[in-house]
Amino acid sequence: MYLESMLEVLPVEINEKVVDGFRFMPPTLRAWLRKDIPETDYMGEIPWTPLKKPLSRTMFSLMTSAGINLKADPPFDMEREKREPFWGDPTHREIPRDTSQDQIDANHLHVDTSFIKDDINVILPITRFAEFEREGLIGSLAPTCYSFYGYQHDFTVLMEITMPKVAAKMHDEGVEAVVLTPA
Amino acid sequence: MIPEFHRQIGIPRVAGIEYPFGRTVGQVNDVHGQRKVLLETISCLERAKKPGEVFHLPFTWPEEPKETKWHPPEISPILKFFQDEIRKTRQQEKKSGPGL
Repeated sequence: MYLESMLEVLPVEINEKVVDGFRFMPPTLRAWLRKDIPETDYMGEIPWTPLKKPLSRTMFSLMTSAGINLKADPPFDMEREKREPFWGDPTHREIPRDTSQDQIDANHLHVDTSFIKDDINVILPITRFAEFEREGLIGSLAPTCYSFYGYQHDFTVLMEITMPKVAAKMHDEGVEAVVLTPA
Repeated sequence: MIPEFHRQIGIPRVAGIEYPFGRTVGQVNDVHGQRKVLLETISCLERAKKPGEVFHLPFTWPEEPKETKWHPPEISPILKFFQDEIRKTRQQEKKSGPGL
């Protein structure tokens, strides 16, 4: 009875987790990155498209910033970034939903990609979403998923050229929801 | 991932998870764990009622940060470029305490 009355008073559940996005970051890097993040919520306009159907009838695609490419395609350009530290490859790669582990490579100068090379599902969960489709938990997984490269100092090409191409292909395939997984 | 970036740019829906960079969905070949994370994540699509909602996923990574591998083999070019500034910021934070 005592706990119940406490729960009525408390605004959140007692065991509710608050994610610390900097938990795995060394203190030095954490301090440097945190200095530019405001303490208050974003006050600008945020795009919003309501979910139109239950998940069990929704077509999903997946997109990650992890620098994954098919071995048959060119890798993201790491060499230019090594020469020009303020430049990050602004292009994207398509990853078909039935891609097998041995068909992919991953290049990223800011994270360890060895885990992705062992199991793409740690960052682009195409196998898991195919399971959800078979089990009827989602409507379907689209034919195409996507990767781009997460280090972008200048977003111009990414936003004005790359992402419109990605969005157009998603639209053509009938995608209704996208799970974005940052590396 | 860093859900705090939401405060900087505004994101329609965020499912924050306290997992290391490069393994946002979970551990290699952990089918059960990956499924739990993803089902919780897509449930946020149904729970979110207005733009900018941030959901904190209730999962805990099994390793301590110091034991968790996620760093690239070499320091990235941009961090190498700013190495001195990064060190100075940390020294200032130690003196004044974290801002957030």
